[in-house]
Amino acid sequence: MLKDNGFRETGGEKTEGSSILEREDVTELARSGVLMDSEERSGTVVFRNHTPVCFDAGNGDFELLPVTEALKRYDWVREKYYFYAVEEDMDEMTLRCARQENPVGFFLRVREGGRVTLPFQAAMYMTEENVEQIVHNIVVVEKGASLEIITGCLTRQDILRGSHLAVEEHYVGEGARLVTTMVHSWGPEVIVHPRTGTLVAEGGEYESRYISLKPAKEVVINPMVYLNGRGAVARDLTIVLSTEGTTVDTGGVITLIGKDTSAELLQRGVCIGGVLKQGGLLVGKERCRAHVDCAGMLLDESGAGSIVSVPGLEASHPDARMSHEASLGKISPEQVEYLMSRGMAEAEAITMLIRGFLGVDAAGLGEDLDRQIARIVDIAGHGEA
Amino acid sequence: MAGNRNILEIRELVVQAGDKRIIDGLNLTIPCGEVHALLGPNGSGKTTLMMTIMGFSNYKIIGGRIVFKGRDITNLEINERARMGIAIARQRPPTIDGVRLRNIMAYQIDRGIGDAERIAAYVKKAGMEEFLDRSVNAGLSGGEIKRSELLQLLMMSPEFSMLDEPDSGVDSGALRDVRELINSLFTLDDNHPAKRKAGLIITHSGHIIDHMSLDKAHIMHRGRIGCSGHPNLMMDRISRFGYEGCDRCLGEVE
Repeated sequence: MLKDNGFRETGGEKTEGSSILEREDVTELARSGVLMDSEERSGTVVFRNHTPVCFDAGNGDFELLPVTEALKRYDWVREKYYFYAVEEDMDEMTLRCARQENPVGFFLRVREGGRVTLPFQAAMYMTEENVEQIVHNIVVVEKGASLEIITGCLTRQDILRGSHLAVEEHYVGEGARLVTTMVHSWGPEVIVHPRTGTLVAEGGEYESRYISLKPAKEVVINPMVYLNGRGAVARDLTIVLSTEGTTVDTGGVITLIGKDTSAELLQRGVCIGGVLKQGGLLVGKERCRAHVDCAGMLLDESGAGSIVSVPGLEASHPDARMSHEASLGKISPEQVEYLMSRGMAEAEAITMLIRGFLGVDAAGLGEDLDRQIARIVDIAGHGEA
Repeated sequence: MAGNRNILEIRELVVQAGDKRIIDGLNLTIPCGEVHALLGPNGSGKTTLMMTIMGFSNYKIIGGRIVFKGRDITNLEINERARMGIAIARQRPPTIDGVRLRNIMAYQIDRGIGDAERIAAYVKKAGMEEFLDRSVNAGLSGGEIKRSELLQLLMMSPEFSMLDEPDSGVDSGALRDVRELINSLFTLDDNHPAKRKAGLIITHSGHIIDHMSLDKAHIMHRGRIGCSGHPNLMMDRISRFGYEGCDRCLGEVE
């Protein structure tokens, strides 16, 4: 089932499915939506610390290569897709990633018209203390093709410190569709700085869901989406739980460049401690429609937790129709009691309200993710991380 | 124990909302299988009484006790009361953002209260299919709120239902549907021809009283039950003379 994808150069570790992952690791990965040896996935990549331990193209109708190999094999990868959606000199993080001699990461391409029905999955997994994980992944969905990716970024539960830096570049071709779901679950002292850039061509569709179950000490996430082609669409949903001792800064910029593009950026945060900053900026450069909505629920009554919510709009075209909305609040006792009068215990009522607030059911995220969200709700509802 | 002949017994109840005493020494008994009407002018404490029986925290019981099915529930949590069989269809329920009627339905099915098939039939009967995936009570008209509330009660099969003005704000076309829902609510599972479930209904109209053949009516006056009697007779008098006479009459009693 494994394909020889030129992975011998990575240091001699075997790349066979879950065979070199301990049972414990498999369980951990499953928590972030990465299911080893599952029939429900079209392919799997797992990076443990710096090393790819699984590189399985499965039966998927796509090309999967280590990013180093892709750069060697195809000149056009460097020309069109390498540090193009994310600028190399954007900041210190991207520069560090660009300076790597042999960048770790994967290149995934779905050829024109290809439809990958099952989700592809990738895990960025840290199992040692103080590891600095740097990865660079490139995903290309060509004209008319479609792909769904589930990415789990996590530390093993006993790991406290480390840093994770990822450059993720997505290219969505004409009339193509890419859905990405990213689940983060980190140790308490980890520093996390992903840099994600997505370019969407005419009629292309990009949907991104980011879920942070266990926030690190510091998480800064600011994915950039460029809707370049006419009628391109982007939907971005971020669901974050912030806990004591963490700073989570979730932003996102969607730039609407093509005519008749549309975008929706939704931020949902539950704060039981720590500092949660929600942003979201829409930039309208053509006739377009876009909406950004940030909502935060503050469940920490000690006064130590806080939420800052700043949705933003920027327009440079008179036909850019854009709106924003932000709301912060707590769970209303009146709503809790209403549900209790239907027979629910207080905790059950609170759980249902948080689920409702996160918009989980309506988002149709599927069963796997539903379970992840249920964990957020469980933690938030019981006030312990 | 004789307590079980009465589903609800309230003795010398004193209730405060905010810093205002709203119910002041109220006594009320509802025997099993009887549905009573609660009448009275606005502000007399009718809704407060129902909210207190359900156990909402804004209504502080500072005296007296409430006994349900022979058990003192004065200090019981709302959900424990609900699980004992008490339910309320409120007049102005809050909007429950993000929580859909379907979630509540699933909850009742999950905990084995109602079977899915029966509940689906109620949803249809209440004409609420299109509202299942909306936030509970969000953007509903007066009539839709009544149907939503009644539907949620039907899902729970309560032994004792309290309905706060179930017919107000309902247009004449929908009135029949609402009445049918109310009928179902009080019908025993075995469709017994002579017996029914118990309840208390606040109303200002004679329609419900006629339609439901209520067993007894009570007029609330200044936080107490002022007088009780035959529902049709009382409703007839009130619709002709209003509550003005009550002040005089009950004032004299006091």
